[in-house]
Amino acid sequence: MRDTSPLAVFASLPEERTFLRTLADVRWGVLVTAILLAAIGLATVHSASAEMEVDYLPRHALRILLGLLVCAIGFGIDYQVLTKFSVPIYIASITLLVLVLFVGRAAGGARSWLGVGSAQIQPSDVAKIAVIVLLSRYLAGINRRHLTLPQISLALAVVLVPMVLVALEPDLGGAAMLLPPVVGMLLVAGVRWRLLLAGAVVALVIGAGIWNFVMLDYQRQRVKTFVSPQSEPLGAGYQLRQSKIAVGSGQLTGRGYMQGTQSQLRFLPARHTDFIFAVLAEEWGFLGVAVVLILYALYVRNGVTVALRSRDRKAILLVVGLLSGFAFHVLYNTAMVVGLLPITGIPLPFLSYGGSFMLANFFATGVILGIDFRRYVNR
Amino acid sequence: MEVREQRQELLLRIPRLRLAFVILLALIGSSYWFVQVVQGSYYRELADNNRLSKVPIHAPRGLIFDRHERLLVDNVPSYDLVLDRSLSRDLAASLDFAAEILGRSREELEETVGRYRGSSLFSPILIAESLSLSQVARFSAERLEHPEFDIDVGHLRVYRHGPLTAHVLGYLGEVAREDLEAPESAYKPGDLAGRRGIERAYEGRLRGSDGERVVVVDSRGRPRDDYRNTAASAGTDLHLTLDLELQQEAARYFEDRVGAAVALDPRNGDVLVMVSAPSYDPNRFARRLDRSEWQALVEAPHNPLQNRVLQNTHSPGSLFKIVVATAGLTEGVVNGSDSVYCGGSTRIYNRRFRCWKRAGHGWVHLREAIKESCDVYFYHLGQKLGISRIAHYARLFGLGTPTGVAIAGEKRGLVPDPEWSLRVRGSTWYPGETISVAIGQGPILTTPLQIASMMAIVANGGLRVTPRLDRDAPAAEPESIDLNRSALEFVREALWAVVNEKGTGASARVDAAQVAGKTGTVQVIEQKSWIDSKDLQFEHRDHAWFASFASVERPELVVVVFVEHGGKGSRAAAPLARILYERHFSARGLRQSS
Repeated sequence: MRDTSPLAVFASLPEERTFLRTLADVRWGVLVTAILLAAIGLATVHSASAEMEVDYLPRHALRILLGLLVCAIGFGIDYQVLTKFSVPIYIASITLLVLVLFVGRAAGGARSWLGVGSAQIQPSDVAKIAVIVLLSRYLAGINRRHLTLPQISLALAVVLVPMVLVALEPDLGGAAMLLPPVVGMLLVAGVRWRLLLAGAVVALVIGAGIWNFVMLDYQRQRVKTFVSPQSEPLGAGYQLRQSKIAVGSGQLTGRGYMQGTQSQLRFLPARHTDFIFAVLAEEWGFLGVAVVLILYALYVRNGVTVALRSRDRKAILLVVGLLSGFAFHVLYNTAMVVGLLPITGIPLPFLSYGGSFMLANFFATGVILGIDFRRYVNR
Repeated sequence: MEVREQRQELLLRIPRLRLAFVILLALIGSSYWFVQVVQGSYYRELADNNRLSKVPIHAPRGLIFDRHERLLVDNVPSYDLVLDRSLSRDLAASLDFAAEILGRSREELEETVGRYRGSSLFSPILIAESLSLSQVARFSAERLEHPEFDIDVGHLRVYRHGPLTAHVLGYLGEVAREDLEAPESAYKPGDLAGRRGIERAYEGRLRGSDGERVVVVDSRGRPRDDYRNTAASAGTDLHLTLDLELQQEAARYFEDRVGAAVALDPRNGDVLVMVSAPSYDPNRFARRLDRSEWQALVEAPHNPLQNRVLQNTHSPGSLFKIVVATAGLTEGVVNGSDSVYCGGSTRIYNRRFRCWKRAGHGWVHLREAIKESCDVYFYHLGQKLGISRIAHYARLFGLGTPTGVAIAGEKRGLVPDPEWSLRVRGSTWYPGETISVAIGQGPILTTPLQIASMMAIVANGGLRVTPRLDRDAPAAEPESIDLNRSALEFVREALWAVVNEKGTGASARVDAAQVAGKTGTVQVIEQKSWIDSKDLQFEHRDHAWFASFASVERPELVVVVFVEHGGKGSRAAAPLARILYERHFSARGLRQSS
């Protein structure tokens, strides 16, 4: 691995030998898969927006470039510094979430966007990273085989505050997305089986409560539609049905790039954002789907390697948190597009059009790479 | 070293999470495999249904003309309402909306939609035809609210002469389920197909084949591109053998009568007139008449839907004497000079048989017996011939079998003989019945068309022609019948005398041609004495027949008239024959001189 790395050539320079060797030794595979996925996303967004008023290709390209910059920043910041300032970061992100409730821009029925000049960010993306950073610091400090109930409760409380705020926007999907990184971190930090079981029961009860008292009609309708999509072929089931038709009609090799009838003839809504994968599946067929899924698997695999060879609990938990969130997005979105899970606004990392989510993922990639880079320094 | 230990603990847990991720990803991947590869063609079809909009191009049905190029059936544009269920958000609301504009009930429309239950969600449903322009305008105005409704320009069949040609031409109806489900059926649900008459008989030629315009549409139904175009090919026009003018004359005669008239060319079987009364207006059927209207038609007095020319059988009465006379002469049982005394009645087999003329005809030989329609003469001739020989000759003349005309539903009639009596009635044939049959009464049944066929054989000297309605079909080679030519010659001459020597058919006499014919009167109720039919209730009155041809030297037209409960053939039926001959020969004269 070390010798075949493209940066190995720098490692042979006699002077800055240690630095360069370490640099060459970083798991660049994480970045390579991220860039490949972003490139595929760029092409697919172009195809998906071919029939729209604007071509999203330039904007998406700009965001990828910005993403690479953010990635470099994430790489450059020592994660020790991040965790050191985790409390102020957390408080700042909560402030943003409160702010968005009052001055946020509405999109799709929820006030979830903050405008800064012409740029827009989704504070829930910021909050997610803030929660991961804060919890990695907190959980790393508990040097035990298993977490106690109060410790778990405190960790959950940390995530519950931003979750409630996001749910108030109301963006239930976004709120739910805050949970998987925390669950991943807790599992790795150590939760007893019986606690896990009890937690599952409690989650079920809370879920039922949310269904009855918190969810809005349109949200309930989405879940209902998922259960029987044929009931309303032109109502709420439309999206699900059109997505499945798009995916299925791709067959093995696809309709061909820019040839997908479901997307090009506008049958598929949200095709450049949450349903970008349906466009890809239609135009590239199962082969395209397999390539993308393998790229995601490689990303996660490389990330896990970083976690496994890190020697710092904080770093391990940080990587686990970031990867858990990433993996959950991939699993949920792809399962939703093929009709396995109810539709909710969960984008696909690196592929979906969407600025702040793209930046958040590139930032996380940078942080993971930075951790790998500093694995000998921070013991 | 405790810190170290705890790090190891963490590291042991990570691969478990990674394994969970890989398993879930593999599960999702296999779902994609299932949807894309296993079910792929199904979804490809759904995608095509999404994007391809099929617009049928209706092939105009062939027009129908009479023998002189006069248009009988036309097509006019018709605005039809079609429903695309896949575009309807709420079917009940859609139907309510349409019902309101159409002025029909929702249940009615639901029934129409129900007939399409088996077909694809994407195939359009024909809801209503022949919309008024204001209805078309309302549907167009609400197009955005109700994209599921569309106006389809189709063709409406117009029978220009309505009831006049109803029984010959028939009408169209929604295609029957069994025709739809037939293998290689070219029909779609809601298509119209010929239900009766010519429309049914020549369905294959008249129909043509519908085209289809397949357009690529986007999600808003906006056409983007032509995908495939199949041109419609119009049905073939049909020229009938009918003569509209003669048909009109005959129909006028039947305005206040019940019965049938048929005229055909004995040389080739061309049917010039086919009238059945009462009639109905087939244009009502073109607009899919509702149930109550249909019920009224079915229950109407004298069954207007029946084509009496070929679906109604009656005893031929004295017309049958033509058969018996020919049989007697051919068999050598009688000759022209044998005479029989008619005293108004005679005793055979210990039973008294009455002649229609109470006073009797005195001594009559065959020619006179035909001319005066003397029953007594034929009682004795029938007795000599016996039922088997009578039946044999009746069948030679085409009685008891369908004539083979193209219109469906033709009755075969009945020529009785002892074998039939045993088989059907379960009793032996009584010799006395032969005596009744000899004058065309009793269990012998014929249709007016069979009688016309029989008259054609008499007229053309022993050739059987099949009545035909398609002018351009090659005429079938006439079949020569095993009959004595001189016997036929004798009968023809006697039939001339019926009309021209103050016989029973005198009222069919015309100046332009030499008409030969025979009257017939069929008793409806058994009469114990001589009662004039006029004094009876309508449904107890005799049926009147007149069968004829002209001219005797060169026969070119056979006319058969049957008037139900019309009384005597000489008074009720023969006058129409005269009208038709006058019309025919004067018109022919005009055509020849011009």
